[in-house]
Amino acid sequence: MGFFKNSFRNRLFAAMLLCSLIPMLICTMLMVQITKLRLDSKTREDGAEQTAALLGSMDFISDALTASAARLQDTDTAIHGLGAGIGSRLQMNSLLFDATDSFRNLAVFDLYDSTGICRYSTRGTVSASLPTDWGVLYGASQTPGQPVYYASEDPTDTGAPLLMGAVQLRAEDGCTGFLVMRLYLAGFHGMLDGKYAQGDILILSRFFRPIYSSQSYLTQTLAPALRQQLFGGHWLSDGDYVYTVCCHEPTGLYLVLRQPRLFTARTVGLLYTASLICMLVCVLISVLVSFPISRQITSPLRRLMGAFDKVQQADLETQLPVERSDEFGRLAVRFNQMVLALKSNREELIRNQQELNEAQIRMLQAQLNPHFLCNTLDTMKWISKINKVPQVAVMSTNLADILRFCISAEEFVPLYRELEILERYIEIQKIRLSDDFAFLEEIPEELYDCLVPKMILQPIVENAILHGLNGVPGSVIRVRAAQDGTLLRITVTDNGRGFPQEMLGHPYRRDKDLAKGHLGLYNVDMILRRNFGEEYGLFLEPGDGGLGASVTAALPIRYEEETEC
Amino acid sequence: MRKIKLLSLLLALVVLPGCGAASVEGGTMPQPEQRLVVYTSHKEEVYRPIIREFEERTGIWVELVTGGSYELLEQIEAEKDAPRADVMFGGGVESLESYRRLFQPTRCAHWSQITESLRQPEDCWTPFSALPLVLIYNTKLVDASQLQGWEDLTRPEFRGKIAFADPTKSGSSFTAVTTVELCCGEEVMQALAGNLDGCQLSSSGEVLTAVADGEALVGVTLEETALQRIAAGDNLALVYPREGTSCVPDGTALIAGAPHRENAEKFLDFTLSREVQQLLGSRFYRRSVRSDVAAANSLPAMETLNLVDYDPRWAAEHRETILRQWDEALED
Repeated sequence: MGFFKNSFRNRLFAAMLLCSLIPMLICTMLMVQITKLRLDSKTREDGAEQTAALLGSMDFISDALTASAARLQDTDTAIHGLGAGIGSRLQMNSLLFDATDSFRNLAVFDLYDSTGICRYSTRGTVSASLPTDWGVLYGASQTPGQPVYYASEDPTDTGAPLLMGAVQLRAEDGCTGFLVMRLYLAGFHGMLDGKYAQGDILILSRFFRPIYSSQSYLTQTLAPALRQQLFGGHWLSDGDYVYTVCCHEPTGLYLVLRQPRLFTARTVGLLYTASLICMLVCVLISVLVSFPISRQITSPLRRLMGAFDKVQQADLETQLPVERSDEFGRLAVRFNQMVLALKSNREELIRNQQELNEAQIRMLQAQLNPHFLCNTLDTMKWISKINKVPQVAVMSTNLADILRFCISAEEFVPLYRELEILERYIEIQKIRLSDDFAFLEEIPEELYDCLVPKMILQPIVENAILHGLNGVPGSVIRVRAAQDGTLLRITVTDNGRGFPQEMLGHPYRRDKDLAKGHLGLYNVDMILRRNFGEEYGLFLEPGDGGLGASVTAALPIRYEEETEC
Repeated sequence: MRKIKLLSLLLALVVLPGCGAASVEGGTMPQPEQRLVVYTSHKEEVYRPIIREFEERTGIWVELVTGGSYELLEQIEAEKDAPRADVMFGGGVESLESYRRLFQPTRCAHWSQITESLRQPEDCWTPFSALPLVLIYNTKLVDASQLQGWEDLTRPEFRGKIAFADPTKSGSSFTAVTTVELCCGEEVMQALAGNLDGCQLSSSGEVLTAVADGEALVGVTLEETALQRIAAGDNLALVYPREGTSCVPDGTALIAGAPHRENAEKFLDFTLSREVQQLLGSRFYRRSVRSDVAAANSLPAMETLNLVDYDPRWAAEHRETILRQWDEALED
């Protein structure tokens, strides 16, 4: 079964073979049978026609004897001449010749007296005698006036008459003699030749004993076989011949016409051979047709499979050639489209991945430098302490702390830590700006532990220092925190020049370009929004009493344990 | 189901036309009451005219089965539960005698005309023709005075030159052995066996050929065959042994349980009819078993043959003993 199961080609081949062979087989068998019937019936018709003609010819036998006997019977001279043994030889002979006038060409006629001695004959010497208690004369004497016909004992002995017919001639006072007709082989030939077209004929006695055959050997072979068949109760069903048998009523003889069967085993063999050749041609055509068709199906499929394999092995350059406009062509187009889509997808993925990698590398690089800076700053701190330059020591300590905080791994820190770092930053700035401003913290203690993203206050305060303090004496920077429901509000106010009008509100949500001058604030806003959602972020407004600026960072209140989960 | 139907329809179409055309024309076929089955061991030239004439006279179709007499008798025995044969036509009466249990005793219409000595006591079989045993010699090689009777066969000049069929195979040869013993006594029989010089022919048919060819000088055979060969022109002459000879008939028997009993009886009557019995003499060199039909003119009358009283039943019953004696004599 694997032969068909695993191969479409084989299945196609088998299907084509079945489609061509089965009708062919049925057709052949029907043809053979029809032809056989037709030919057989034709032979039979021919046989019937020919036997009818032959039976007509055989009428000669009965006609010759009965007509001659009737003529003699009507001639008193003949009857009495024979019975009494009187009358001259010539006279009797001429009577006999007259009576048998039209029949002597085929048969010999004799006149026997009542003791079975041959007196007159149309041919040959007159010396023979026949027993009257045996054979044909006995038969004739048993049926007065009726002709009887006796077959020769040995039909191969062609010197003897093959058939003898006799009829008793009667006078008023009983039997006067017999008219005997002898029919020789030549007589049969003359009677029957040319009356049948083909085949052989056999004439049998009423007991199916052979009398005459057109082929002399048939009397020895066919006649006994026919008789045996007749006793067996089945008719000759010879494979090579058709037999037509009919009875010649006037004589009781049987005529057998043997015709060669037109449709013999050889013909059948020939027909079957022819159809076998046709079948072979069918097989050949099936092969020739099924292979290209299957190739038309299987080769695009194989190409498609190959293409799939390539795609599976990540070769997205794969494209199928589109040579046809049928289903397979469309399939190729779809496949190509699919591969293209897959390819662009993957390219995007790779790009993303590359970007991600680059960011990670940058981060690693960013982490590398601060360590070095921190260590340097520590060294600077110690050198400045040794050299008694306290400001440098303070600055480097603070800077190192800030730096460390910056590069620390955690993202969220408690508010108090953020405030510590903010204080370090303020310390540095105070040294830088010669203590030119006041920094105030107003943080309720219960909010110290709130978690906030690290380094969100420093940019806001830096913005205040850079923009709010610029040129304003007695500047104050306040950092306040308040709980508003679940919201933590950390507000940095200054008393500087304030924001331009367009910056108020949530400026970074409206316009990204604003970030250019205020990268610090923008970043903080972005961090808050990314971390907590769009409703959080920075809110810019004028400061207390319309002076300066106020920046409020709004974020949800969260504590350490919450973030851990 | 539909498939099967369709398939069988097709099959029928293909196969059916193959049958048919095997009927017999009703008028031609002989009806059972017109039939007769005859098993015969006679030669064709004997049975043919008789059968033909019988058919013409009675309108009965005769079906013939030919073969050797023992072969046919064995076949009849094999078929005894459902006999096919009606008549066993031919066969020496010794063989018929030993199978007489298979036959239907019947007294034929011409029983009273049958020569009394040839009748079977229970009418199990009916004699057909009488066949005296004779001696033959090659006329070119043997002088008539050399062969007068059985005893002459023991002459030293014929030693190894006697054509004699093996009595275990040939019925007539067995009859000859028994006849010699009956006519001349056991010694002559033994001497004859010795004079064969171990040379026996395998069938009685070879006897004539051997003597005619000169291979053998003298031989033992049936009168009928000897006359036939003489008529055919062979260098043979026949001698009726002066010590006497036997005249064992062959016979005809009705098979017990014959399917066509009536026709069989008609046939039996026909074989004993005057016409047929006369034909035996005129055509076949056989002697009639009818006392009112004389032998053919050329033959010596039956009464002059000095016939021994040969009882076929006794011979059949003592067949084993006689053959054993013969074998022993042959080996001596």
